[in-house]
Amino acid sequence: MSLTNTVPESEKTRELGNSRRKFQFPFPLLPFFLFVGFFLVWPLSKVLIASLKSNNESWTFSNYTPLFHGIYFHAFVTSIRIGVVTALLGALIGALFAYVIDAYAGPRLTSILDSIAAVFANSGGVPLAFTFLASFGANAGLIKLLKSLGWDLYAEGFSIFSFTGICAVYIFFQAPLMVLVFKPALSGLRKEWKEANTSLGGSPWTYIRRVAIPILFPSFIGSFLLLFAGGFSAYATARALTVGNVPLIPLIIGDLINGNVISDKTHLGASLAIGAIAIAAVAMSGYVWAQRKSSQWRR
Amino acid sequence: MSKRVTSGSELVISGISRAFGAVQALDRFSLTIAPGELVCLLGPSGCGKTTALRIVAGLEKSDAGTVMIDGEDLLAKDANQRDIGMVFQSYSLFPNMTVAENIAYGLRVRKKSKEQINKRVAEMLELVSLQSKMNSFPHQLSGGQQQRVALARALAIEPRVLLLDEPLSALDAQVRTQIRDEIRRIQIESGTTTLFVTHDQEEAMAISDRVGVMQHGRLEQIDTPNTLYNKPETTFVAGFVGITNYIPSVADSKNEVQVLGQVLEISEHSSVVKKGEEVRALVRPESIHVEKASHGAKIITKSFLGPMTRVGVDAGLAELIYAEMSSKEAKKFDTGDHVKISITTEMVMVESV
Amino acid sequence: MKINLSKYSTIGLVSLLSLIIFVIPYSASLEYSLRGKFGKGHDLTNYLWIFHQEGFLSHLSLSLELGLLAGLLNLVLMVPTATFLHLSLQRYKSLVDFICILPLMIPVVSLAVGAEYAMPSFLQNSQMELVFFFVILALPFTFRVLDSALSAIPLKTLVEASRSLGASWPATIMRVIVPAAKGGISSAFFLSFALGIGEYTITSLLHWDTFTTWTVDISQQNVLGSIALSTFSFLFAIALLVTIALVSSNRKKKQKELGETS
Repeated sequence: MSLTNTVPESEKTRELGNSRRKFQFPFPLLPFFLFVGFFLVWPLSKVLIASLKSNNESWTFSNYTPLFHGIYFHAFVTSIRIGVVTALLGALIGALFAYVIDAYAGPRLTSILDSIAAVFANSGGVPLAFTFLASFGANAGLIKLLKSLGWDLYAEGFSIFSFTGICAVYIFFQAPLMVLVFKPALSGLRKEWKEANTSLGGSPWTYIRRVAIPILFPSFIGSFLLLFAGGFSAYATARALTVGNVPLIPLIIGDLINGNVISDKTHLGASLAIGAIAIAAVAMSGYVWAQRKSSQWRR
Repeated sequence: MSKRVTSGSELVISGISRAFGAVQALDRFSLTIAPGELVCLLGPSGCGKTTALRIVAGLEKSDAGTVMIDGEDLLAKDANQRDIGMVFQSYSLFPNMTVAENIAYGLRVRKKSKEQINKRVAEMLELVSLQSKMNSFPHQLSGGQQQRVALARALAIEPRVLLLDEPLSALDAQVRTQIRDEIRRIQIESGTTTLFVTHDQEEAMAISDRVGVMQHGRLEQIDTPNTLYNKPETTFVAGFVGITNYIPSVADSKNEVQVLGQVLEISEHSSVVKKGEEVRALVRPESIHVEKASHGAKIITKSFLGPMTRVGVDAGLAELIYAEMSSKEAKKFDTGDHVKISITTEMVMVESV
Repeated sequence: MKINLSKYSTIGLVSLLSLIIFVIPYSASLEYSLRGKFGKGHDLTNYLWIFHQEGFLSHLSLSLELGLLAGLLNLVLMVPTATFLHLSLQRYKSLVDFICILPLMIPVVSLAVGAEYAMPSFLQNSQMELVFFFVILALPFTFRVLDSALSAIPLKTLVEASRSLGASWPATIMRVIVPAAKGGISSAFFLSFALGIGEYTITSLLHWDTFTTWTVDISQQNVLGSIALSTFSFLFAIALLVTIALVSSNRKKKQKELGETS
């Protein structure tokens, strides 16, 4: 006798009932949609329109040509490199932290560490930059201490105002951000999977390779992309640290709208802003894919 | 349906103990399961039944005692070398693998050939009637289907012993009985020695060759469901298995007790009582006879249970006394009717208050 | 034994790593900020310096006001939204989820460019412009917090009970949902409050002068003082969030104990 057909599938029938209902505008969500529409979607569409207009208000793609060569192209490449490098390092370090917190910390310690991670993750900005000037500036105690121990970082060409310096600083908000976004995925790994692996004859390594890594992979990619977007577009830290010798897209856009540069380039600012959004959009679509993949398994 | 009978193994657990801090989860627990037998461990939560099962599986360590399969020391082996199949409460299927891949997992770990694996997976899918779901992912299955896949996965490796840890507790009531019967059918068909852990007495009685009732880390009694119900050896077992009335009574002597005005013999395994002591008599609802009366006790509740009907009678005691009768018989009574109740057995079990 | 050894070596390794990465730089900056006049000795000179600066109070109060408004507006907007998403409008959840992650993905500079183009002039002249954008920027954090707080309570039952007893929607939200999800709602508030106080990018690009931008300006005059200030704000934020976390985890524990005994 087969039971296949008699098993009641209450969830399925509920879904059917929902989809049969007619579309109704979700009025309770109207304030949210209006707010987001006016303060997020509307400004961004204005940028898009401006980027497609020439100085005499006719439509044109010419604002986009500078993006593909010269200093602006170079700035895009640099910003993407910073995004990738800091997201990768931050993701690896943060994942390790998240693993240790998830595996060994009790609920109380976990909530404390979560809060600290939240502060670190959001401290990307001016305070962080100052902290770094204090720690790694040529005059800082740490640098002097290392020098007295025979390791002169500055003599080896290190500078906090260089590409490497910026990368080092960014790790300080990237890794804690990774802890915040990746730990839920780790906590989603069920004890039963590990035990099922054991009772079926698998070693811990089999579990990691065949179960844990495949399950965590989408979440890891999603988190990495989130970190990338943050590193790519970070403005405040970069502004406080660089004195213009590392060209970064957010800084260039900021200069353009601040009027630090000749002002007939406003349309260029718009096209650069759209370029930056386009790169974020690529990361974003990967993120959405990863989210869907990982929430599918989480039930 | 393919019939395959593996010669089951004998599982001998002797004297295992386990303490978690100050809590003695298992206290010199012993149990022997014959080849091909299905034994249920039944008890309230915290009685140690799951700990016993997890020690056999190697997922928990024991402080003392031995576990043998066919005379071979199991505790000396790592958990992943024991050839034991295990089914968990729920969510144990690997979410990133299809049904077929889940079932194949233990075989792939054992480095079986591709043909062997495919053949065995097909057999298992047929056994649990899920051929059509072979390429589905666990999240696309209902809870009952997931547990059937978990069973197939555990049996695919031809385990020497099958362990089931409350496998039905996360399912809906209706599905639960279906899967329960399916587990039993498959277990008999495969002839696998099986240890089943549950807190649901109805489930335990329905599925097992023998049921072991546990309390405080020890086995109170192990017997066939029938014996357990009709000849409980302790008042705990009597109270835990089936529905029981606890009727306040007074002992006439150390052998006799007065219950609801009747003098009855005290059965063996009762608490030791002395004359005049206030005790509670344990009486099954089907041992209580109800007849119409003009005054006195009154029917307060009436629950239709299919062929049987249960009535709750207010006999002036702190709690209602429940009686069961055929539903045909029950038509004569209604709530509010005055009745006279009597006990139809000559012997009752009593416990000290 | 084998397991314990690997457990402690993992913990040890990670502690060492966090020591190198996080503790050393931050304690270095703490040390730096405590240096006395002309680099001699250690005292609180740098911490007190900021109080004597012209404009300290006015900038601080402006930032506090903006943070407060952003926190409140965020709750007014998002608590009802999240509530309805959990009740009857679940199918919009993934859409709102997606929208709320956008501010984290889209470069803030790009949004600032858009604000310059799109905001009507009456808003450009009102500090509410900043408040609105702070709310947008805080969405990724606050929505997540509110969402998980509401998942943790039996929202549907509570709302049905309240509505069937005759309460209006606003009364239901204020009297039933807000008290039940107090922990999550207060962290959502503090997250947007903190973001409002510390925000730099959009503030400076829209040419506003808040406490953050003011500190950056005057830090040119006194590097030590500005380091002291950021160290202080950093420690203060950690202390605040840890306190909230401990209070709410205590409350949870208490509720659990109550639930078990009843």
